[in-house]
Amino acid sequence: MSGVLSLTRMPTSGPRRLLVLGVGLLGIMSVVRLVTGYDDLTSSGTIGAALRLTVPILLAGLAGLWAERVGILNIGIEGMMILGTWFGAFGAWKFGPWIGLLLAVVGGMLGGAIHAVATIRFNIDQVISGVVMNLLALYGMRYLSELAFDGVPQGGISQSPPQRGAIPRIDAPFLSGGWSTPDILGWFEERGWFLIGDLAGIVRGLTTNLSLASLLAVLLVPASAWVLWRTTFGLRLRSSGESPESAESLGVDVIRIRYLGLLISGGFAGLGGGFLAIVSSSYYRQGQTAGRGFIGLATMIFGNWRPSGVLGGAAVFGYSEGLKLVAGGSVTGLFLFIAIVASLVLVASVVARRSRRGVTALITTGVAMLAYLTVDEVPESLTQSLPYVVTLVVLATASQRLRPPARAGVPYRPGGSH
Amino acid sequence: MSDVLSAIAVELRDISKRFPGVIANHDVDLTVRRGTVHAIVGENGAGKSTLMKTLYGMHQPDTGSISINGNQLEMRSPSDAIDAGVGMVHQHFMLADNLTVLENIILGSEPAHRGVIDLRSARSRLNELMVSVGTELDLDTEVSELGVGERQRVEILKVLFRGAQILILDEPTAVLVPDEVDELFETLKRLVADGATVIFISHKLDEVLQVSDDITVMRQGTTVAQTTPAQIDRSGLAELMVGSELPSPAGRTSTISDAVRLDVRDLSVPGPEGRPAVESASFTVRAGEIVGVAGVEGNGQFELCTAIVGLRSSSGSVIVDGNDLTHANTRERHRAGLAYIPFDRQREGLMLNAPLWENTLLGREHEESLSKGPFIDGAAARSSAVTIIERFGVLTPNETVPAFALSGGNQQKLVVGRNLVTEPSVLIAAHPTRGIDVGAQAAVWDEIRQARDSGMAVLLVSADLEELIGLSDSLLVMFDGRITARLDPDSITPSELGTHMTGTHREVAS
Repeated sequence: MSGVLSLTRMPTSGPRRLLVLGVGLLGIMSVVRLVTGYDDLTSSGTIGAALRLTVPILLAGLAGLWAERVGILNIGIEGMMILGTWFGAFGAWKFGPWIGLLLAVVGGMLGGAIHAVATIRFNIDQVISGVVMNLLALYGMRYLSELAFDGVPQGGISQSPPQRGAIPRIDAPFLSGGWSTPDILGWFEERGWFLIGDLAGIVRGLTTNLSLASLLAVLLVPASAWVLWRTTFGLRLRSSGESPESAESLGVDVIRIRYLGLLISGGFAGLGGGFLAIVSSSYYRQGQTAGRGFIGLATMIFGNWRPSGVLGGAAVFGYSEGLKLVAGGSVTGLFLFIAIVASLVLVASVVARRSRRGVTALITTGVAMLAYLTVDEVPESLTQSLPYVVTLVVLATASQRLRPPARAGVPYRPGGSH
Repeated sequence: MSDVLSAIAVELRDISKRFPGVIANHDVDLTVRRGTVHAIVGENGAGKSTLMKTLYGMHQPDTGSISINGNQLEMRSPSDAIDAGVGMVHQHFMLADNLTVLENIILGSEPAHRGVIDLRSARSRLNELMVSVGTELDLDTEVSELGVGERQRVEILKVLFRGAQILILDEPTAVLVPDEVDELFETLKRLVADGATVIFISHKLDEVLQVSDDITVMRQGTTVAQTTPAQIDRSGLAELMVGSELPSPAGRTSTISDAVRLDVRDLSVPGPEGRPAVESASFTVRAGEIVGVAGVEGNGQFELCTAIVGLRSSSGSVIVDGNDLTHANTRERHRAGLAYIPFDRQREGLMLNAPLWENTLLGREHEESLSKGPFIDGAAARSSAVTIIERFGVLTPNETVPAFALSGGNQQKLVVGRNLVTEPSVLIAAHPTRGIDVGAQAAVWDEIRQARDSGMAVLLVSADLEELIGLSDSLLVMFDGRITARLDPDSITPSELGTHMTGTHREVAS
């Protein structure tokens, strides 16, 4: 009941609204967990896996955000991530994991530079250049593997030798048992109390066995927001994506800033690839990115071209993928969760007389409820598609007005304004 | 810069600028005194904007010199101009819609410490500036939410924020309603009183005479005269501009027949927040008749026109030549003889990046003479474009140049020509002469009159009251979505019409 109230009478200010929304959703999830007995829905194991799966998508989403904010579509994120996986694994194999991550960034930036020269200097269609980037990276890295990894022990044409060492992982002290302190959250999680048990599981999942690379990646979200909205560089970069003529007429060097924006975009994508090769696994493997670059673009749209929104979108993806990985059977519990949330959205839509959203919510409720009641065991092939289904549902029900940068994807020639 | 400020703020000598195929400026001399409003008048295509872009460093002249405050300078980019204290308010606003007012203003000259924007100092400087100019804007609003007048104030603040002492305003009044024009002129007077110099480009002669201290006239790429409002009157100025007598919309002989060509009955258009944008509009337009629609912009004229041509859903009925088109879509209405000159030629009327001949083909693709089966007959389409270009006097090298290369007046002539060449039975003409010079205006008026004489019915929406009174056979006034008055243009003055438009006469009319 309180959920209904919170949805219909939402506080208008941002942070409080988010807090109410977050606690409400967590409450529903907790109810679902207690009703169905699927403890893994909010277990620290699930959340930990979710975070590891979120990070590469998050970085891909931020790569898309930086590119589109400066005014250039980057369909080539997948390819830049491939460059990141290869260069990252190469660096980690030769010099260790940190150098590996650094080389991954450099590799991604190389991809960004190619895309920049193609689209800015030669005015090649941005979509075409991006597609070419994806193909070029895929086969280029296969070629480089033949030169660098073939014949090396455990290496080959589609795989690098394993890295030396790994990025350190930490447990937070006092919360999750780091530095030999008591594992307080673990105790709470085991009790499984309503709401408290779930909260403990989530926080513990985020603070246990946490790779420093994950921490770094998450910190890049506020860092991106700060640079884009609080610095002169960020304002000029965004103006290049919104109205390059205005920017140019005020003395902003649009061309230079577009190159820089794409280098940063490539760097983020490369770091995402590096994370896959160095943290998620310990070597480069062909096809390792598995379309995450494109999913990153989806989270960018989902996140309305804002860093925090990208994080939210990537987390939805990471969570459903993590759940699938840790406890495939719990997925039916997620159906119940979706059904409840959608029914609340339905009630709110009826109250607010938003017929289109209401219909979407009604259909979602029906399908999710049906799935929960009839499906006992979700076939493997269907759990694979779960993250995509979840994203589609969220995109369909989100009523937020999407606002891409006005001139993303439009070629710009300096002095072209007549 | 010297201690003693020169009495001459801007001096241009022998400026020439040629673009491929066009000599935009030649032998231009311009002297602007400090602390004055200096108007530059001329027809569209006379080279005013080119000259101002030269002064603002957006391109470099082929010959000639530029002096600011007595110092000869080379303007290699807008940054150089800004450094020299020159700022420009562009005709087409240079604003980023999705950024806030504050961000738009400080962009490129952000007050900052080590790259981090100092928002507090930006805010306080802007608040001071707004007080001194006598304007008020919410700095955190996104520009997309602002009206045209407010956007222009953002542009002016943008220029002043950079410390400009010399302001160039390129056709600042073209987009403003009368109240906003008055406000703008107040602002300009304040600025000049504070020691700024304003260069004001316009082709609206009354405004020029009202607001300026000096006037420079340009014609065909060069300056032809410098004068003052005291020395010259409207017709004299117009003669200098066009080199001939001023055309006028007046001189009407009735050609109205009894045949009703457009019959609109009880037309209503839903608006935002449940209030109708148009409420129960009913009127007829007969063959050979021009019915004018007067009204302050935003009182439902746009919705009315778009509903009649089927671009917007509505209730009520629309009948053209006895055919009920109420349930027809836009293309069917178009084929039934309904032509539309849209409100914004660049947004709704033209494909700016497409060649002229493709633009003249728009909406006529189905014409048998222009197609071969499912394919477009390129040669026929081009020759049809050439016909329109010649008949309507569109100034262009040929029919293959993109539409953006044309000046506003020539773009408009092309749109008008495209609509008239099909000989429609009804023409909906929205602001057919907005933002175009007197020469092109006269040409468009002539064409509309000729079409009217040959039996076309015209619904004319305009903000130019003289145009409305001069061309129309009868006048409708729209206020708040309703037709509040039906007037006879022969017995009404612009000022009377103005009171109807502002709703002062509302009770009397209903």
